[in-house]
Amino acid sequence: MRHFKSQLLLLLPAAAVYLFFLVLPLWTVIAESFRTFTPGRIGAVAGAPLTVKNYTEFAGPVYATYFGQTYVLAFFASVIAIIIAFPVAYYIAKNASASVRKIWISALVGLMFLSALVRIYAIELTFGSVGILAPFMSFVGVNMNGTAYINIIIIVGLLHYAIPISILIMIGAILNLNPRLTEAAQSLGASAIESHLSVTIPLCIKGIVSAFLVSMTFGVSAFAIPWILGRGRVQFISNIIYSRFSEVSNYPSGAAISIIMLVLSLLMIFIISRIATFFDRT
Amino acid sequence: MNVLELKDVTKKYGEFVAVEGVCLEIEEGKILSLLGPSGCGKSTTLRMIAGFTTPNSGTVAIAGENVDHLKPYERNVGLLFQDYALFPHMTVEQNVAYGLRYRGTPKPMIPSRVQQMLSLVRMLGMEARYPSQLSGGQQQRVALARALATDPQIVLLDEPLSALDAKLRLELRIELKEILRSVGATTIVVTHDQEEALSLGDEVVVMHAGKVIQRGSPIEIYKAPADKFVAEFVGRSNWFCATRRGRSSGDLSSYITSNGIEIRTRSAPTDRRGSADLCIRPEHIELMDVTQGVVSDEPDQNLLEGVVVDVAPLGADVHVVVDLPGETRLQVIRKNVGRIPTVVPGQPVRLCFAASDVLVFPT
Amino acid sequence: MLSKRHTDAGLGVLLKATIALTAVFLLLPVVMTVIMSFDSRNYLGQFPPPSLSTQWFTKFAHNGYLWSGLRTSLLLATATTVGATTVGALAALAISRMTAQWRDPVTTAFLSPLVLPGVIIGFALLMAFSALSAVPTFLKMLAGHLLITVPFTIRMTLIGLAGISATLGEAALSLGANERQSFFTIILPLAKNSIAAGAIFAFAFSMDDLTISLFLSDFNTYPLPVALVGLMRSNFDLTLAAAAVFLMGLTVIILIVLDRIFGLERVIGHGIYKA
Repeated sequence: MRHFKSQLLLLLPAAAVYLFFLVLPLWTVIAESFRTFTPGRIGAVAGAPLTVKNYTEFAGPVYATYFGQTYVLAFFASVIAIIIAFPVAYYIAKNASASVRKIWISALVGLMFLSALVRIYAIELTFGSVGILAPFMSFVGVNMNGTAYINIIIIVGLLHYAIPISILIMIGAILNLNPRLTEAAQSLGASAIESHLSVTIPLCIKGIVSAFLVSMTFGVSAFAIPWILGRGRVQFISNIIYSRFSEVSNYPSGAAISIIMLVLSLLMIFIISRIATFFDRT
Repeated sequence: MNVLELKDVTKKYGEFVAVEGVCLEIEEGKILSLLGPSGCGKSTTLRMIAGFTTPNSGTVAIAGENVDHLKPYERNVGLLFQDYALFPHMTVEQNVAYGLRYRGTPKPMIPSRVQQMLSLVRMLGMEARYPSQLSGGQQQRVALARALATDPQIVLLDEPLSALDAKLRLELRIELKEILRSVGATTIVVTHDQEEALSLGDEVVVMHAGKVIQRGSPIEIYKAPADKFVAEFVGRSNWFCATRRGRSSGDLSSYITSNGIEIRTRSAPTDRRGSADLCIRPEHIELMDVTQGVVSDEPDQNLLEGVVVDVAPLGADVHVVVDLPGETRLQVIRKNVGRIPTVVPGQPVRLCFAASDVLVFPT
Repeated sequence: MLSKRHTDAGLGVLLKATIALTAVFLLLPVVMTVIMSFDSRNYLGQFPPPSLSTQWFTKFAHNGYLWSGLRTSLLLATATTVGATTVGALAALAISRMTAQWRDPVTTAFLSPLVLPGVIIGFALLMAFSALSAVPTFLKMLAGHLLITVPFTIRMTLIGLAGISATLGEAALSLGANERQSFFTIILPLAKNSIAAGAIFAFAFSMDDLTISLFLSDFNTYPLPVALVGLMRSNFDLTLAAAAVFLMGLTVIILIVLDRIFGLERVIGHGIYKA
C-alpha cells in the first residue's frame, strides 16, 4: 500500500501538467465551440446562447477545400517520403560502412533537430524566386507564383522533415530484420528486387506504416510550412484556426475547427494503426 | 544447528501454485543443491529466502529467527545472481565494497576486507576494472566475492554456472566448491543442471511442480530415485512399461513388457500383480557380440538380443543405440577403456544387465 | 535468368541515383543558406553571391528584436528543460514500476501530446488562460512547452530504466542497501544518460516551438521563432540567413552533446518516434 502511494506521488506532477495544460484547456475549447459568436468581440460572451452553427458552417465547399488541401498535400508528401526513404534506409542499414553510416545518421538526426523556421527559410531561399532553380524554372516557363508551384514547394517543405524521420524509423526496422531471409529468398531463385518485394518489405511493414503515420501526423498539423511557403494562397487547417484567432477573433469558430481537426487526427491515427496491425505478420 | 529452516512454505500467484508446502532445513557449513526443471518453484523458494517474495503461508527462519517480516536488506543473505548483477558503473573494488558499506562495516576496515575477498577469488590486481572489462568467469568470481564479503549467514547461488561455456563451467565448479568450503559458507545452490547439483551439493533436494520430491545425498538421488520423475530427470535412462508376471525365484520378480520382452528385477515393492515402469541406466548394460561364445542364463541377470542402430564414439564414452524386437530402443553407454568390442550398425548384439540394477516404479 | 540480372543492375543504378539525389535535396537548402548568409550584396539577389562579406552577421548581431527573442527563448527553454526533466523522470519512474496491464495505457496517455496538432494545444491554452489575464506571458508559454516536452523526457527516461536489469536493484537490496539507497546508488546513476538525452530533446523542442508560442506571446515577451517568423513575413532579407546559420550552429552543438551522452545511433528505433 505504501508502495502504491509513493507511485501516485511520483505521477502527480505529470498528471497535474496534463490536467491543467491539456485536459481542462481542451474542455474549454469544446465548450466554446458551441457558443454563439458576436462579430466585433474577442471570443464569445460568457453565457452566450448555445449553437451548432460553428460546426455547420464548415460543411460548405470553401472549407472542404482547406481540409482537402491539407490532407491531399500531407498524403502526397508522406507517400513520396516513404518511397524515397525506404531504399535510402536500406542502403544505410545494410550496405554502408560503419563510418558512412555514422555520417548519414548524424546528418539525419541533425536535420530532425534543425529549427523548423531555418528549414522553411532555407527552402524558400533555395527553391523560391531567388533560388538556384529559378533560372531553370523561368526557362521552362513555370510560373513560380502559380498555385501549382506553391503546392509543390509546400510538399518540398514537408518532405525536408518527413524524409529524414522516415529514414531513421525505417533504419530501425531494417536493422531488426534477419539478413539470412533475403539470402534464403535469393538462393531459392528470387532476384534481388523480387526478394525485397517478397521478403524485406512485408517484414518491414510495421516500420513503413509508422514512418507513414509520423509523416502524415506531421503533415496534417503543419502550420509554419504552409503559412510561409503558401504565401497566403494555399492554407492548411492549422492556418485557418490561427486566422480565426489573429484576424477575426472568432474564437467559437476556431474552437469548432480545432475540435473537427482533433477528431480527424485521432481517427486517422486509429485507422493507420489498425492497418499496421492488420499487415503485421511478425 | 540449522542455519535455515523453511516450514510448510507455500506461494501462490493467483491460481498458480508456485511452491507448495516446502519444508527445508540446512545445517551450518553445508552445501545444499536445489535441483529441478524450470518452473518447479526452486527460484521462488530462493526469492523467499532472500526476502524478495513473501510466502502466502509457512515461515522462513534464519538462525532460528523468523524473518518473514524482514526486508531483503534486513536479512544477512548473500546472493549470487544468474546474470551476476554486477553494477556496471562501479569498479570491481566498488562492487565488492558495496555490501560492506551498507551492512555497516567500519569505513577503515573496508579496503582490507575487499583485498581479502579478491585474493580469495584470485582477482587481486583487478580492483580498478569495470565489469564490462572482465570475462564471464572473472565476473562470476567478482560476484561471488561481493556476495561473500559481508560474511552472510547463508549464501544463495542462482544457477551460478549457467552463463559460462562448458569447459569453463567445470573449472569454476571445482573452484567454487573450494571457496565455499574454505569460508565455511552455508550455501543453497539453485540449478536445473544435474551435474552442477550433484557435484556441488553435500545434499540434493529435487523439486517438481512446487513440491520437494526427494532429499538425499547425490549418490542416493542417483541410485535410489524416489519416483519416475527423479529417475528420468537425474541421469540417463531407458524405460519399459511392463506388467508383473509373478515371483520367479527368491526375491526376484519377473515383468513382461507390452512387446513381450521379459525383464527380471530384484526389488518389487508390492506383491500383487500390477504394471510398473522399469528403468535401466545405459551404463549398467553390458554389450556383447552374439558370436562371443555361449552366455549362461543366470536367473539374476537379464539377457536381451537386438541390433545396433547407431554408434557414437564420444571420447571417454561410446554411446550405442540398440533396437530390440518390437520397436523398443535402448541406449547403452560403454566406457572407452581397455579392450571394448567394436560394434557397427546392423550388427546383432546381446545385452546383459543385472536384475538388481533395474529400478521399479509401480504405476 | 539474364533478364533478372538486368533488372537488378538497372535497379542498382536507380538506387544509387536515389541516394545521391536525396542527400543533395536534404543538404542543398542548408548549404545554400550558409553561402547566402555571406552575400556581400545589400539586397536579396540571385544565387550565387558575386562576393562575400559578413555584413548580414553584423546586422543580425545588432538586431535587438531578434536578440530579445533569443534571450526569452533561452530562458524559456532552460526553465522548460528543468521542469520537464523533473516531471518526466518522476512519472517514468512510476510508470516503470507499474504492472504491464497499466504500463501501456498510461504510457500512451502521457505520449499523446506528440500527435496533437500544435495549433490546437496553443489555441486551447490561449482560451484557458484568457480567463486568467494575470498570468505572466512567460509562464503561459512555459505551460505549453512543458506539455509538448514532457512526453520526450518520459520516453527517454523509460528507455533508460528499461535497460537496467531488475536484478541490479535486487543485488543492492541483498547487499544491505534499502530502497532509497539502491535507487540513488544504482538506478539513478545508470539512468542518468537517458534522462540527460531527454533533457536535450526538451531543450531543442522548446527552442524550436513556434505554434504554441505564437498564441501565447505578446509584444514584450516573445521567443526567437516568433521573432523570426515576424521578420520572415515582413522583410525576407539575409539577416535571417545569418540567424539561421547561428541556429544551425546551435543544432550542431546539441547533436554533439547528444552523441556524447547517449549515442546518435541509439536515437534510431527508440529515440524520437518508435517504429
